[in-house]
Amino acid sequence: MANRITTPVTINSSQFGEVELQPDNIFYFENGMLGFENLNNFVLISDDDIVPFKWLMSVEEPDIMFPLISPWLVLPDYDPGKGIDIDKQVLFAVVTFNDGKGHITCNLKAPVILSSLELLGEQRILSFERYHVDHIINKLA
Amino acid sequence: MLLLSRKKGEVIQIGKNVSIEIIDFGRGVVQVGVTAPKNIPVHRKEVFDAIVEQNKQASATTATISDIKKALSSVAKLTNPKE
Repeated sequence: MANRITTPVTINSSQFGEVELQPDNIFYFENGMLGFENLNNFVLISDDDIVPFKWLMSVEEPDIMFPLISPWLVLPDYDPGKGIDIDKQVLFAVVTFNDGKGHITCNLKAPVILSSLELLGEQRILSFERYHVDHIINKLA
Repeated sequence: MLLLSRKKGEVIQIGKNVSIEIIDFGRGVVQVGVTAPKNIPVHRKEVFDAIVEQNKQASATTATISDIKKALSSVAKLTNPKE
């Protein structure tokens, strides 16, 4: 497990080149992302070119980026249940652009939860059954 | 792996805070009740594995900007089929 990054850090990504990151833009994921438990510091990247998607980029391995989308853009009545404070926390679903069957899917079962005040993040598995890890957003043309 | 035989209603204690009770069984299915502190997530393993797999796929295909643009144009097509 990596420690929380508290000083400015320069990363090198094949997508964006050399970028200096400030600690107040870095979210600390104590438990990492599921399957990526060794990556603990992430930045959220917005880019006009990819609206409404965003990227969650690993500071430790900048070429690992998870595409994200707001779950409410996919399902307007998405309900992550109790235990999530929508006023203080921002939710995203991880997007898979090609699941091998030509679909764009997103994971509504295990949203990424960012707390912007504390700069903390986690991927939490919702305990109820109504959402799936591979919710189809759309068919690729 | 530790193998333990348990009867209905008996419990396995794991550490101080986690316990697993055998609630019922029959027809090839065992129903277990898991008690654990909130900070210990308890899930069916296949759900956990599916999420790990999805994360790997999501970060692997990531998606150059042009991939995302292509995906976006197909979304737009479906939203506005007349265009």
